[in-house]
Amino acid sequence: MTGLSELYFNIDSGYLEGLVRGFKGGILKQNDYLNLVQCETLDDLKLHLQSTDYGNFLANEPSPLTVSVIDDKLKEKLVVEFQHIRNHAVEPLSTFLDYITYSYMIDNIILLITGTLHSRPITELIPKCHPLGSFEEMEAIHIAGTPAELYNAVLVDTPLAPFFVDCISEQDLDEMNIEIIRNTLYKAYLEDFHVYCSELGGATAEVMCEILAFEADRRAFIITINSFGTELTKDDRAKLYPRCGKLHPDGLAALARADEYEQVRAVAEFYAEYKQLFDGAGNNPGDKTLEDKFFEHEVKLNVNAFMQQFHFGVFYSYVKLKEQEVRNIVWIAECVAQRHRAKIDSYIPIL
Amino acid sequence: MAGAYKSPKASTTYLRAQTTMKSRLAGAQKGHSLLKKKADALTLRFRAILKKIIETKVLMGEVMKEAAFSAAQAKFVIGDFNHVVLQNVTKAQTKVRSKKDNVAGVTLPVFEHYGDGSDSYELAGLARGGQQVSKIKKNYAKAVELLVELASLQTSFITLDEVIKITNRRVNAIEYVIIPRIERTLQYIITELDEREREEFFRLKKVQGKKKAIKAIAEIKRLELKALGVDVDNPADMLKDTHEDEDLLF
Repeated sequence: MTGLSELYFNIDSGYLEGLVRGFKGGILKQNDYLNLVQCETLDDLKLHLQSTDYGNFLANEPSPLTVSVIDDKLKEKLVVEFQHIRNHAVEPLSTFLDYITYSYMIDNIILLITGTLHSRPITELIPKCHPLGSFEEMEAIHIAGTPAELYNAVLVDTPLAPFFVDCISEQDLDEMNIEIIRNTLYKAYLEDFHVYCSELGGATAEVMCEILAFEADRRAFIITINSFGTELTKDDRAKLYPRCGKLHPDGLAALARADEYEQVRAVAEFYAEYKQLFDGAGNNPGDKTLEDKFFEHEVKLNVNAFMQQFHFGVFYSYVKLKEQEVRNIVWIAECVAQRHRAKIDSYIPIL
Repeated sequence: MAGAYKSPKASTTYLRAQTTMKSRLAGAQKGHSLLKKKADALTLRFRAILKKIIETKVLMGEVMKEAAFSAAQAKFVIGDFNHVVLQNVTKAQTKVRSKKDNVAGVTLPVFEHYGDGSDSYELAGLARGGQQVSKIKKNYAKAVELLVELASLQTSFITLDEVIKITNRRVNAIEYVIIPRIERTLQYIITELDEREREEFFRLKKVQGKKKAIKAIAEIKRLELKALGVDVDNPADMLKDTHEDEDLLF
């Protein structure tokens, strides 16, 4: 019964939900962004960030500041916060938080596979991995020469093994383009996460399934649009669509047959929220791109997750919102550093 | 030297030397004008290249700015994709060929780029930011093209600079060293010849004067003899002469 789970939620996760809501309160508001946009140099930016929740995170950096340093430090803060939460979590929250890290793990594995295939030393690759997605067997990747060996030796022990099993066979690993492997893994991950959230039930299922459904549909749209004019066949493309969204099964079938942007738009017409997103987007300068509209919708869904209490969705939303904030700040920093202020307002406002 | 008698052979040596010098002077002057023409053609080309370099550099600044901005846009949508690109590199997709171009006798290297192999990043950004990825690919390809062009312009600039300096050095050497030297030698030969001619003239005049004096003395002697009744008009007649010659005893 949903009522009961809410009553018992605070025993295990009350402290963490409070913590996450506190972190969420520190997310930059519109005012902060207005201040940042008016900066002339990166040092100005650092000054403004000091008055926010970030505080003196850049205090020990030698000048001159570069955008990549700011980027690294921002990410570091998020990683520290997330790891603190993860360390204090118990089941089922700990599994939920692990699911959140799997997407970064997928990226790391793909990076390590390509690096190993081209014989790069492992010490070069490890620092480039996303810290949230590290796993114990990372150091052992270099013993394998081909992706198939890699799978048999190393990846079977990682939490990502089931994603490989479902959809990729050994020969596929060797032949497939690395991007296709990445997208196949991500599809398996999304579907698995969706199933897990539905099993959790209650407010978590409500909030998370909606967010994950949107993510699945968004990937389907973007993969379709980006695959026009490439060597990706329609069948291959259809295999990359995650099936946990609203588009399944009719929308996905229609997308698999699409040949150009107008047809994709026609498919979106059948679904009210997606119709809105496609309407506002365009490729002319001054228009928002489709990706921007997707980002905005995602941010809206994530902010709405905080409206309900006693569910795990807040943790996922917090991570995603913080990531978006990091992207916004880095975008503004790049515009300031390159003195190209024309599009400095193209960040996605969060609160 | 003033009183020395010069054999006719020596003067022809001088004359030959003079004609040699004259032909050398003509040769030097011809060479000088040819080299000057070469230097002028090279300088013209040099100026044109300089103008082109300035234009290309300005354009380069803009293109790089555009490309860096599109990189920032792509990073906004995709996240950090540096390492994805770096790790997937197999071989160069754009390569550079060098050809030779000839300007007024100077070979200049010219670089041109050509694409080799298919695009190995076709599927990059499939799930996120594919549009940004294709835009950034285009922008950086343009930047690379410009860079190659700039490189060939700059190499020809440097090579031309060297050659122009060398050619100008030669032109100046001929103009200020060789030709004056030849001219001075020619002058010297001419003055020598003049002097010798004057010497000859002077000698002739002196000899003439001497001869005249001798002739005058002989004339006076003759008149004296004539006055004594000696027949000087006719040459002496041996048969008429009856002087007893003493016998020659050996």
